[in-house]
Amino acid sequence: MGTINVELIKLKRSLAWPVVVLLPVVLVLAGAATQLANGSQPQEGWKTVWIQSVGFYGLFPLALGIAILGSLVWRVEHRGTNWNALMSGPTSSRRIAVAKASVVAGLAAVMQIVLLVAVIIIGKVAFNLPGMLPSEYLGITGLLIVATVPVAAAQSALSMFLRSFAAPVAVALVAAGVSTAALMAVGNFALISPYGIATRTALLGTGMFVDAGTVTGADVVGILGSSAILATTIIAVTAVILERRDTRI
Amino acid sequence: MNTRAVVNEFAKMRHLRVGLVAAFMIVPITGLSLFAVVTNPDFTPNAPDAWNALLAGMSLGIPMLSPLLLAILASRQTDIDHTSNGWLMQSASGLTPGGVCRAKLVALGVVVTTTTIITSLLVLIAGVFMGITVAPPIGHWAGFTACMLIINLSVLALHVLLSAKVENQLVALGIGALGSIVAVFSQGLPAAAAHLTPWGYYALAQAAGYEGAQIKALPISYPSIAALGVLVATIFLILTYRFDRQEA
Repeated sequence: MGTINVELIKLKRSLAWPVVVLLPVVLVLAGAATQLANGSQPQEGWKTVWIQSVGFYGLFPLALGIAILGSLVWRVEHRGTNWNALMSGPTSSRRIAVAKASVVAGLAAVMQIVLLVAVIIIGKVAFNLPGMLPSEYLGITGLLIVATVPVAAAQSALSMFLRSFAAPVAVALVAAGVSTAALMAVGNFALISPYGIATRTALLGTGMFVDAGTVTGADVVGILGSSAILATTIIAVTAVILERRDTRI
Repeated sequence: MNTRAVVNEFAKMRHLRVGLVAAFMIVPITGLSLFAVVTNPDFTPNAPDAWNALLAGMSLGIPMLSPLLLAILASRQTDIDHTSNGWLMQSASGLTPGGVCRAKLVALGVVVTTTTIITSLLVLIAGVFMGITVAPPIGHWAGFTACMLIINLSVLALHVLLSAKVENQLVALGIGALGSIVAVFSQGLPAAAAHLTPWGYYALAQAAGYEGAQIKALPISYPSIAALGVLVATIFLILTYRFDRQEA
């Protein structure tokens, strides 16, 4: 826990909030912008608001946001002599890998909550929709929080290996694109990719691309199972590789 | 123009994996442009408007990916001078920060021009291989490519300025990611709203798109895109000359 607290302190002045808040808010606004400009109402109420906000979000902006957060969390370690301080400190590689991935996953979780709140606000305030967002979408948001943990772990690992801030973001863009194509080509087999899990989860209940429009138990179990296995594996491999790294002279 | 400064920028690119980012600009955009056609069961190569499907694919693929990739190119090319204090070193050797920015734009501009033209040609060639028998709308195609090139170069110029001024790459990449979103969603906005951001101009250069259930050729707003080019060029020159008068 102490390691995670240290990471949270490092985040204080890191400008993580624009990504965590602005990215989902801009996506929800952009999704609704056409109808707001035309003065029309969403055809299927909350479902339409959800699809136009989250459908595109899951294709690649979600992975990009997490990639930027991963680069941000590791950026400080690659500056000056901080890498050597990290390598020569008493904290084990496993704890560093877990703490970094946890912080990125935590920020990604906040991003999903901001998205949910933004959808509710746009539905109620801009479109004056009756009732509240169906509980199904609250469940999908919860699932999305879990499903982004493997992406957070993968991006944290990439940002650890690559000193460049931009390179892991470029990798995320390509990986998200490839995973989306794989989802369309081979369906749920693409859940072997962290990015595929995140995209699949964001598409749940939308009826877009690979999704049938209904959330099944098999989908949920598949997503949870793949997320747990991939997140654990990626963090374990990251810790092993970090253990073999040394100070830079 | 300082040729040696431009050559120096190309030398910096060698270890910045610029070639890889350029490949990212070509392959996924080409793939995305063709994807919509390949997966569309209604696509018939013999239809008189078959090329419009490819133009529509490019009109979506370029705005979706280019803003972020341009941000990555500009920020990587500029970050190298922040981390190694290249601004000061080059000032001491007679090359002012504004001159460095102009050299960066020229060098990266060559890369972006090449990738934009290659992408456009690849999609055109793919159309021929897909069996489209009607003659391609060369004029519309060339106009679209030229407009996308002007917008790409304009966005690149703004990112070079941003990355030179703000050391934190988070800002450049965050704006690049938001730019991709704005560029895609601007296609659904009124033309006046699309004029408000540089990424909105991708929507004004849309060469084809859905009108109801059919893909049709769309008129390109050439004057707006020319105005963007002139405006950004003026801003870029003014700001880089201001950089020349600042301490490194």
